[in-house]
Amino acid sequence: MPDIDIDAPGTTALLMGNEAIARGALEAGVGFAAAYPGTPSSEILPTIVDVAKKRGIYAEWSTNEIVALEAATAASLAGVRAMSSMKQNGTQVALDFLGNLAQRGVGAGLVLVTVDDPGAHNSSNEQDTRHVAKWLDIPMLEPGDFQEAKDMTKWAFDLSEEVDIICMVRAVSKISHTRGNVKLGELSTRKYKASFPYTGGRPRMWGIAHDIQHKKLALAREKYEISPFNKYVGPEKPELLIITSGAAWLYTQEVVRTMGLEKRVGILKLGTIWPLPEKLVTDALDKSLQVLFVEEIDPFIEGSVMELAASQATGKPQHTFYGKRSGHINAYGELSPDDVIKALNKIMGLSYQARDTAYLKKVEAIPREYAINRGGALCPGCPHRASFWNIRTALKLDGRGGFATGDIGCYTQGLLPGGFSVVKTLYCMGGSAGIATGLGKLGQFGFTQPVLAVCGDSTFFHATIPAVINGIFNNSNFTLVVLDNTATAMTGFQPHPGTGRTALGEPARAIKIEDVCRSLGVPVEVCDPFNFKDTTNTLLKMMAIDNGVRVIVMKRECELIRGRRDAPPFTVTVDPDVCLGDDCGCDRLCTRIFLCPGLRFNKQTGKSEIDPILCTGCGVCVDICPQGAIKREAK
Amino acid sequence: MVTKVKGAKELQEEVISKGLCTFCGACSGSCPYLVSYKGRMVLMDNCNLSEGQCYQYCPRTFTDMDALSQEVFGTPYDDKQMGTYKEILIARSTKEGVRGRAQYGGAVSTLMSLAIKEGLIDKAILTRVNSDKVPEPFLASSENEVMQCAGSSYMACPVIERFNKIPKEENFNVGIVATPCQGLAIRKMKLQPPHNRFPIDNLKLVIGLFCTWALANDQFQRFLLETLNLPLVKKFDIPPPPANTFDAYTASGKISISLNQVRKFTMPTCAYCLDMTSEFADVSVGSVEGIEGWNTVVVRTKVGAELIALAKEKGELETASLPAANLAHLKEAALIKKRRGLGEIIKRTGDQKNLLYLGLSQQVADKLLK
Amino acid sequence: MTTKKLKKDPLNLIIIGVAGQGNVLISQLVCNALANEGYLVTFGQTYSSNQRGGSVNNYVRVSKEIQCSPLVPSGAADVILGMEPLDTLRMLAQFGNPKVMTIVNPRPIDVAGRVSDYPDLEKLMETIKGLSGKTLVINATAEAEKLGDARMANMILTGALVGTGILPLDEKSIAPFIQERFPNDFDINMAAFSKGIELYQAAK
Repeated sequence: MPDIDIDAPGTTALLMGNEAIARGALEAGVGFAAAYPGTPSSEILPTIVDVAKKRGIYAEWSTNEIVALEAATAASLAGVRAMSSMKQNGTQVALDFLGNLAQRGVGAGLVLVTVDDPGAHNSSNEQDTRHVAKWLDIPMLEPGDFQEAKDMTKWAFDLSEEVDIICMVRAVSKISHTRGNVKLGELSTRKYKASFPYTGGRPRMWGIAHDIQHKKLALAREKYEISPFNKYVGPEKPELLIITSGAAWLYTQEVVRTMGLEKRVGILKLGTIWPLPEKLVTDALDKSLQVLFVEEIDPFIEGSVMELAASQATGKPQHTFYGKRSGHINAYGELSPDDVIKALNKIMGLSYQARDTAYLKKVEAIPREYAINRGGALCPGCPHRASFWNIRTALKLDGRGGFATGDIGCYTQGLLPGGFSVVKTLYCMGGSAGIATGLGKLGQFGFTQPVLAVCGDSTFFHATIPAVINGIFNNSNFTLVVLDNTATAMTGFQPHPGTGRTALGEPARAIKIEDVCRSLGVPVEVCDPFNFKDTTNTLLKMMAIDNGVRVIVMKRECELIRGRRDAPPFTVTVDPDVCLGDDCGCDRLCTRIFLCPGLRFNKQTGKSEIDPILCTGCGVCVDICPQGAIKREAK
Repeated sequence: MVTKVKGAKELQEEVISKGLCTFCGACSGSCPYLVSYKGRMVLMDNCNLSEGQCYQYCPRTFTDMDALSQEVFGTPYDDKQMGTYKEILIARSTKEGVRGRAQYGGAVSTLMSLAIKEGLIDKAILTRVNSDKVPEPFLASSENEVMQCAGSSYMACPVIERFNKIPKEENFNVGIVATPCQGLAIRKMKLQPPHNRFPIDNLKLVIGLFCTWALANDQFQRFLLETLNLPLVKKFDIPPPPANTFDAYTASGKISISLNQVRKFTMPTCAYCLDMTSEFADVSVGSVEGIEGWNTVVVRTKVGAELIALAKEKGELETASLPAANLAHLKEAALIKKRRGLGEIIKRTGDQKNLLYLGLSQQVADKLLK
Repeated sequence: MTTKKLKKDPLNLIIIGVAGQGNVLISQLVCNALANEGYLVTFGQTYSSNQRGGSVNNYVRVSKEIQCSPLVPSGAADVILGMEPLDTLRMLAQFGNPKVMTIVNPRPIDVAGRVSDYPDLEKLMETIKGLSGKTLVINATAEAEKLGDARMANMILTGALVGTGILPLDEKSIAPFIQERFPNDFDINMAAFSKGIELYQAAK
């Protein structure tokens, strides 16, 4: 991949959707970018960071998404084009600000990029952010391919200034994380002199401006009616009209071609999805009385178009609408070309299949035991495994039915056997302390179970602090366990206030979580999770206090960071003469319960062994083998 | 009667979570899943083994009393109040220092020290308390270390766990001081020796203790911590009725706590025990009512008899005969415990034929209930 | 520019591996070279916790006409390049068809986080062959270890893939991208690449 700011307009590059979005921002002359990491949006900011210093752009990782959007808005108010990017949950976090922002004007162009995760492959939930545009009256664009990811982002800045409102670009994982051809445009040479023009009642900050906002949307709609981001392909009077947007456009386009339906099926691809370009859509609806909606995730366009059709229904022949409401397309999850094939087969009475029945029978005959799915696991050497091991031991020894509340990060895996299933609740960033502070007040209703609120270091700065302070203020009974691996690991090791450097690589004062907690006047202990004895005892001690908020910071660097920098500390081996295999009676504790990928059970030898490629030499497993068969030798 | 051996999951369901666990330690120390902690047996993770030594040796899972009795004594288990024995006498250490430190006559400490000194065993598994009187299993290797464990804490202590923890490569001989439930577990282990472990045959000597009930390890210790200045306490004693006290001896004297307060901490599972005099030990030792400073000693096996003879020969123990009245009273007390235990079991199961863990023949059960 | 032409439009290539094997590198090199030839290339991925022991599925779609979607439709793979046998079979089950060309590196990787045992390799390979139009077994990991670094398996497989001629690429058209990616290690990577072509010749 060449540099994202390559000055070669007209040439084609293979860009990931997120890179294309960043490129679009560069071509629009973005000056200020702020974000919080969130798959599938995380790559947008670092792509800008790569060229930020060179191009005089300011880019930062903010502590959370509402702050990121606020910071970007500030730049816009001061005349600097600004962008904020986040995943669907991030937009949720920013909603209070966004709702207010939408009823104000902007200064320079302001763009919010929100990337949804249909199917929740990398999220705790699945949600369709497009509703936010309709709900808060914000213009929104949805790229249908990688070229549009760039072009729409670029245009969004212009649109934002022309209409005087924040503009949103909504992508999904399959656009953001897929690489495709993008013809590059010209880079902007804009220069900024920032100043906040607060005279003359501008920008307007007070009073309900909802009516003015509607007028802005009407202006946006006019521009949408003639936008090249909407296009129709197909015959004048198709048997079936498909209305689609986003990644679903790519599936639809391809399937219609594969099934040889180009002369029978027409496709209206919408790119300017809110407000709906009503004239354009009405014209399309006149082409056919059979309409299929293909979109991710919710029936957003489907519902809006049906509203439109209903408002124009008098005296006109009725359409038959197929989509999520009719069950032809799933109203949940991520789409694939197969879903479009299935829908078209059903609606048009076809029976297209990519491979014959004989082959399908062969597939069905594959033995069950070959269908093993590789699940996720915590990395070999991960300090969270050790932290969860300590938590599991302490909870069991404590014996009062205690449990952990969970949060968002690699350590979310505390819900799974890989994390010894100690985590029993999972919601959003900050949720672990939030739920804990409620549980900790249930003593008056007979609640006696110890509560451990588990969160990561980046999460702590993002959202945990208010919940912890609530716990202290309202004297709630729980222990906060911060798994401090000095990284925002799950999303790609982005810096945060504890890591000591900024997005641009500048040194930053590293804020120590234990110092923050100590300043709140509660008991705080710092442990190394690899030291099982001390950490488990500290947990037991803290749980036994059984009153008020206590904090344990389990501190050890993420193995992926350490491993890139340093050699493995130990050579770890399993002594086959000491390992008793199934004869041990431990019922394969190492490979059945401890579940470090570096340990595996060899069916041939009947013993456990270390996988030399996966093992990172952390040496922690030495303490778990009851026979002492696992040995470590310092390198 | 053939029983199905089950695993840790069933042990948890049938014994531990039902409040029947005696905290003897037979199930712990052998694997990473069962761990003793603050008076509880904790199942750390689900072990999927369908047959576990933990279930097999637990004195609260099905126990074929006849099989055990045949193995040790060559006779079936019957309704004798104090089980089978060769001889019963009273004894005390010839050394005043030992008697001062130990319980009553110091017979247990003397016999165990002697066994080590004479090479019958190399080490002994005993109970030792720290300055805060928390009891822990301890592997003693010398007379001095044996003396450190002298005196009763009256709290349950999982000593068998310490046996289980001995690495299987070791080849020394051990002795153990066991309560009746522990004695039962040990006999189950000897009947069907543990697989891939330190050989049970190396356990050469079991000295049993008389026991009416045991106190919950963690809870009672915390009660003591609140009630007494524990580092100053040298010895505990529960004198025979009608005293009704739990006594703590310090350098300056004796502090008496009402036994009613202490009874709160007896382990509920003790209600289902029929054995007051450690019927499956080599030698069983208790107090002598009305004769301070002496122990009642019940000699049961050849090993026990030889040890007593040796102790007398070496001038370590002074012995005498147990007065008839004492013997009668002892037998009566033992029988009361049997009847009460059996009664409690039947009350709990609601079924005369369901005796929980007891594999008793119907005749013996009937005889006891008459 | 190569003279090779695209044999089918779109051409669907699936490159599958376990996290850490480096199948993304193969995809990137191939995609960049193809885009340079003027094709519309779509390179999509699905992963299951990819950093942490899971599989990484790469879908490479090549067309002269349209920008294809990021996902290969079921049963529509033209080439499946599998760095690991169990994952190769998984891809065949979903995307295979009687005509598919399967290139497989027969080096099992245990499934982390489970005790269930890896299937018998021979039987697994037979099943793979039964579901493919043509199967090429390329011992990439073994050969890479001979070259001194097991991780070079992916470069070897890249060579094998290009060697088959199924893509409109040849050594000349992809070499500049290998150079760009490995400015300091070009020679050793080209050696691995050439090895791959050699292995294909022997296996075909």
